[in-house]
Amino acid sequence: MFAFTKESEKKIETILAKYPEERKMSALLPFLTLTQRQEGWVSPEAMVEIGKRLDVSPAYVQSVCSFYTMYFQYPAGKYIIRFCHNISCYLNGSDSLLDYLSEKLNVEVGGTTEDKKFTLIKEECLAECSAAPVMRVNDDYHVNLTKESIDKIIDSLK
Amino acid sequence: MTKILFKDIDVEGLTTLKVYQKLGGYSSLKKAFSMKPEEVLNEVKNSGLRGRGGAGFPTGLKWSFLAKDSFPRYFACNADESEPGTCKDRILLEKNPHLLIEGLIVSSYACLIETGYIYFRGEFQDVADLMDEAIAEAYKKGYLGKNIMGSGFNFDLYTHLGAGAYICGEESALLNSLTGMRGEPRSKPPFPAVQGLYDKPTVINNVETVCAVPWIVNEGSEAYKSIGTEKSTGTKLVSVSGHVNKPANVEIDLGTPVSKIIEMCGGMRDGNKLKAFIPGGSSVPMLGIEHIDVPYDYESLKEAGSMLGSGALIVMDETTNIVEATMRLAYFYMHESCGKCTPCREGTRWLYQMLGEVLNRRGSPETVKTLQDACDNMAMKTFCPLADAAVAPVVSSIELFPEDYESFFAEASATAG
Amino acid sequence: MEKETVTLTIDGKTATVPKGTNVVDAAKSIGIEIPIFCYHEKMIRLGCCRMCLVEVEKMPKLMTACTIDATEGMVVKNDTPKVVKGRQGVLEFTLLNHPLDCPVCDKGGECPLQDNTFNYGAGDTRMEFKRFNNVKKKELSPVITLDRERCIACQRCTTFSEVIERDQALVMHNRGFHNDIGTFNDQPYDTRFSGNVIDICPVGALTNSIFRFQARTWDLDNSKTLCAHCACNCNIEFGARENELMRIVSRPNDAVDDGWICDKGRFGYEFVASQNRILEPGIRKDGEMHVASLDEACDETVSKLKSIVEEHGPKSVGFIGSPFASNEELYLYQKLMRMGVGTNNIDFKAYKDTPGLPVSHYDFTDIESADLTVLIGCDPTEELPILDLRIKKAVIRLGRRLIVLNDQKTLMDKYASLSLRYDVGSDEVALGGLAKAVAEGLKQDGAPKVDNLKRASGIKVDEMRDFAGKMTSAKKVCVIYNPAALSGNSVAIVKNLLSILDKNPEGECGAIPAAPATNALGAMDMGILPDFYPGGISLSDDSKIKEIWGESAPTEKGFTTCEMFGKAASGDLKALVVFRSNPIVDFPGGDKIEEALKKVEFLVAHDMLHTETTALAHVVIPSIGPGFDEGTTTNVGGRVQYRRKGLKAESFPDWRVLAKLLSGFEIEAKYLDSFTVTAELAKKVPGYEEIRRGSIQKEGKTRPAQASVNGQTPEVTSPGSSGDGFKLRVAEKLFSKNKILESDSALAHHFSEPKAILNSVDAEKLGIKTGDRVKVSAGNRDLSIEAEVEDNCNPGAVVVSNAGDEYRVLALIQDHNATVQVSKE
Repeated sequence: MFAFTKESEKKIETILAKYPEERKMSALLPFLTLTQRQEGWVSPEAMVEIGKRLDVSPAYVQSVCSFYTMYFQYPAGKYIIRFCHNISCYLNGSDSLLDYLSEKLNVEVGGTTEDKKFTLIKEECLAECSAAPVMRVNDDYHVNLTKESIDKIIDSLK
Repeated sequence: MTKILFKDIDVEGLTTLKVYQKLGGYSSLKKAFSMKPEEVLNEVKNSGLRGRGGAGFPTGLKWSFLAKDSFPRYFACNADESEPGTCKDRILLEKNPHLLIEGLIVSSYACLIETGYIYFRGEFQDVADLMDEAIAEAYKKGYLGKNIMGSGFNFDLYTHLGAGAYICGEESALLNSLTGMRGEPRSKPPFPAVQGLYDKPTVINNVETVCAVPWIVNEGSEAYKSIGTEKSTGTKLVSVSGHVNKPANVEIDLGTPVSKIIEMCGGMRDGNKLKAFIPGGSSVPMLGIEHIDVPYDYESLKEAGSMLGSGALIVMDETTNIVEATMRLAYFYMHESCGKCTPCREGTRWLYQMLGEVLNRRGSPETVKTLQDACDNMAMKTFCPLADAAVAPVVSSIELFPEDYESFFAEASATAG
Repeated sequence: MEKETVTLTIDGKTATVPKGTNVVDAAKSIGIEIPIFCYHEKMIRLGCCRMCLVEVEKMPKLMTACTIDATEGMVVKNDTPKVVKGRQGVLEFTLLNHPLDCPVCDKGGECPLQDNTFNYGAGDTRMEFKRFNNVKKKELSPVITLDRERCIACQRCTTFSEVIERDQALVMHNRGFHNDIGTFNDQPYDTRFSGNVIDICPVGALTNSIFRFQARTWDLDNSKTLCAHCACNCNIEFGARENELMRIVSRPNDAVDDGWICDKGRFGYEFVASQNRILEPGIRKDGEMHVASLDEACDETVSKLKSIVEEHGPKSVGFIGSPFASNEELYLYQKLMRMGVGTNNIDFKAYKDTPGLPVSHYDFTDIESADLTVLIGCDPTEELPILDLRIKKAVIRLGRRLIVLNDQKTLMDKYASLSLRYDVGSDEVALGGLAKAVAEGLKQDGAPKVDNLKRASGIKVDEMRDFAGKMTSAKKVCVIYNPAALSGNSVAIVKNLLSILDKNPEGECGAIPAAPATNALGAMDMGILPDFYPGGISLSDDSKIKEIWGESAPTEKGFTTCEMFGKAASGDLKALVVFRSNPIVDFPGGDKIEEALKKVEFLVAHDMLHTETTALAHVVIPSIGPGFDEGTTTNVGGRVQYRRKGLKAESFPDWRVLAKLLSGFEIEAKYLDSFTVTAELAKKVPGYEEIRRGSIQKEGKTRPAQASVNGQTPEVTSPGSSGDGFKLRVAEKLFSKNKILESDSALAHHFSEPKAILNSVDAEKLGIKTGDRVKVSAGNRDLSIEAEVEDNCNPGAVVVSNAGDEYRVLALIQDHNATVQVSKE
């Protein structure tokens, strides 16, 4: 069963205060984000709960959820690595670095490591192009990547 | 080069209100509140400031389109920076959040708006958190909230995050997303200035645009107009990436030649020759070396056959595989198409498939002809400019580098052996 | 109010259209076709398929004709090379990954994609990649199959679910090329209106699972007919092949259904081929039923009735009519009973109602123009589903308001700006209180005396004032009430309320008497009443009766159904003719009725299906019923429409049976077809003068409202106490498992057990929780069902859903108060 934690409930209050009462549907993305932060993914049960709170159907919640690529509808790894392969990073050698990382973690791009520690995702532009290649691990940006810096970052993650 | 946005960008502690204010921050409020809202609006209009998000629409004019006598109105600040090659808003958000807050207060005052939202792309959680801190400081200081500095003006400002969708940078898609919907663009008209967020008149401006407003109010529109060219006034942040020695965000006077900008970034990587550059983010046509000295402003770039767009200069040297680079962009648009309009949903995928065909040495002159015609069938046939953007690199790369495509043709590779 | 118009030019032709019309519709109005996929005139403008690209002067890019309003002086070009190429491009994109399996596609022959490709396509594709493979057969529900490969992501179906039915059940998942229509977590898409997405799908992606691969559309014999399930009388097209029903699709009639039908209307027609159909007449001899010819059955009926009349007088014979039959059949039956047998013992219902209204009789379209709709005792979602859609449209899309007065919670409450709930059984007091509050608000007299509103109905006086205030301040009020859900004198009080409201000089008002049975209003109009002749002529209007029906027309008040059963039980009623009615199950107090029917000396059942009632009959005559029959029905909006036959019947049409019976009573009955009956009733039934084959051919015709007999101020009786028991409120269900929707129905997935829905206050007292089994009992009847704790009604009552014939829920009503006991099992 899904339930928001006490801490999340507090955040829900702050979120709802941002929007006019009759427009509380605006809180849908923030609620989904909050859920994912709490659970690591957005489960169907969570969608039902969110729908109830915002007066929309669970199908609607799922429809919105599936539009945005940052939401996982399945349990993902502890660390979500979003590795940019778009133009600026590509021009600066991101492809071989992504291959390197994939091999290092022993996981296919798009997959999650067996120990559920890492999910490796090929990402579109992350808006740090002047410091390409770039990846984002959970909320943290890592720029000007090299094999060495990737090693350091990954090895520092517990 | 004049420094307006990057004036104090490297000062330590700039993200705090204390340091920001010490450097003259929030001074435009006093000036603005001493003027009538329409005077502020006229000042911005007169400055010639244009939207820095991509379309380059005159900002003051956009504000003046707000439906009269319709309230409440909303401000939606576009911090959904997602255009490949573009990273200039992120640096402002990361290093100078108070500048945006100040800009939003003054802009909203000019537009009689009492509620504003900053829509960050979902990946910008870190800078959004920073912004929340800055907003809290501003509230505490009385720069946000009720009766700001005794002016009688009220303004509430909130952050809102997306969750991974390039299309939400398109203003009507942004509004849908902010309403809790899928980020599909809306039909225009009605335009946001008439029916925007919650069907109310709404101003949508890019981060960089808003950040220029305090300076314009403080220094006056004439001072702003004296920078840049006649029609492209002021300064512009340019995100330089790709094959230059020191990729960076630089602030330039509009009209600075591209060659100069490349120079500012340490010149070409390894002394290589320039092959092509995309001057305004991935959505604009690429240009060849013959345009290396084109002045970086709205008019000149248009004349050269491209656009200033979001101000992202992507530099490609002679080692670049143009077909592969183009295909990388085609993949992007396929991935980001919302799927609402048929030509975009199906077309972006088809372009990607055909480019792959060429790259895999299965193409022919016919493939390129079909590519071009498919682009023609997509361009200007959809709700929003995503399809137009998707075809820009394909059309321009075929035009500029036909031999690159030919070199991959099945026959060519057979003879090359 | 004149609507503002604009004039524009399309391909050199001028069109003048109401302001707000889009270019597609403007073009259509002058016979120019602009091709479309995603646009649907009944839904919002989407603009996503891009098929309707046109050139508009002064606009730099091609515009989608569906998303732009026609404006004054606009110049539109629909056939320039730019437009032609644009559309060819769009079609090429649309077909890139669309399989060309037209030869086996159900949509073949009526497919907009086929048609548009034929008319606007390039004739060739340059797609050289393998088409994207996707799911070919995904069951969206037991009745809808999705072929994902054929979907062109036009969003019509998802828009229907969002904007029309408002369930947000069918949605778009994912993004871009991976757009995929679906439901939450792959649950079935099983709303009440789901089938409409099949009709509006512009390709063969959403198909009718029952029709799928059964026939080609061009092989169907289609008849434009009416749905016979409820009193909306939606327009449908009945598709048959070799005299077998293949499918039903909607046939838009803006005045009735607005282009939609419910799933019961679409999928609930298996009864035309039910095993349970009565195919041959039968006569009971020595307790055994024997097959007889129609002549034998009719002769037996006539001779028995005649001898009973001779021996016991015409008052010893009664007739229970059907609110499901056509006007023609009912007209002939009342003629048989009145002119042949000589009795007014004629009725069809268990509730009290009288013909006519003191105000305008509103049609469905009035709901859109009224700024306020008032629902009284109605549950349109379950009872008259198309009305549900119309009300939602008015409230959400047209900005009208809705207020609700009911004894139970309904799905309509969500759309109401005010919703008041009176105690079950206190409808007289509540309505009297409302009439009083309206009279006070308008400073009028004539309202009933009510001084115990809160105590007797549970509604506070100021709440009721607020409710009345909304009615008196509206410019146009449409009052929709369900006489079948009201008790005692309530209908008279509603009419009293209406006549008071009608005195409002600032506003107009009208009403829709919304009894849910198919032709309940027609039955009233046809005089299936013990105290009124056809056309609402009261028995007291002796001269008019004699003028129309002759000197021998009986004018003594007849028995109501309830009285007839009483007289049958006491042995005073010797013969009863029951036409397409099963009172044992469908009337309150079924067991008593069953006992009474057993006592009747001669029981004739004229019905379509075998029922508990036909099982007791001495003579059984088959009625062919919807699908096979032909005639007119009158919907709750007073619209008379033409129900055509879709299948050829094996046995005689009902009007022929009636002609035989009438002839037996020496009454001339030389009818050639049902329309000769229509022609006769048009002469005999006031209000139906204009009804003839030609005048109702297309959209039907509203018959003028009948004036109601202006009665005195009605008395209001406070509800009786139910002691330590509960008052029973039976809630109707759209998908009830009854004789019409049998257990093997395609809609069986909607069936559920009845539930006892208790107010939380009562539930706590009894220690009952949701999910507990409870016993609901009255007399020697009891029902063991699941409890649900939900404040659907005020304390002191229990709501039980009428989920199917087998549960005999109405048999629990055994006294005037409908008192039941509820206990935990």
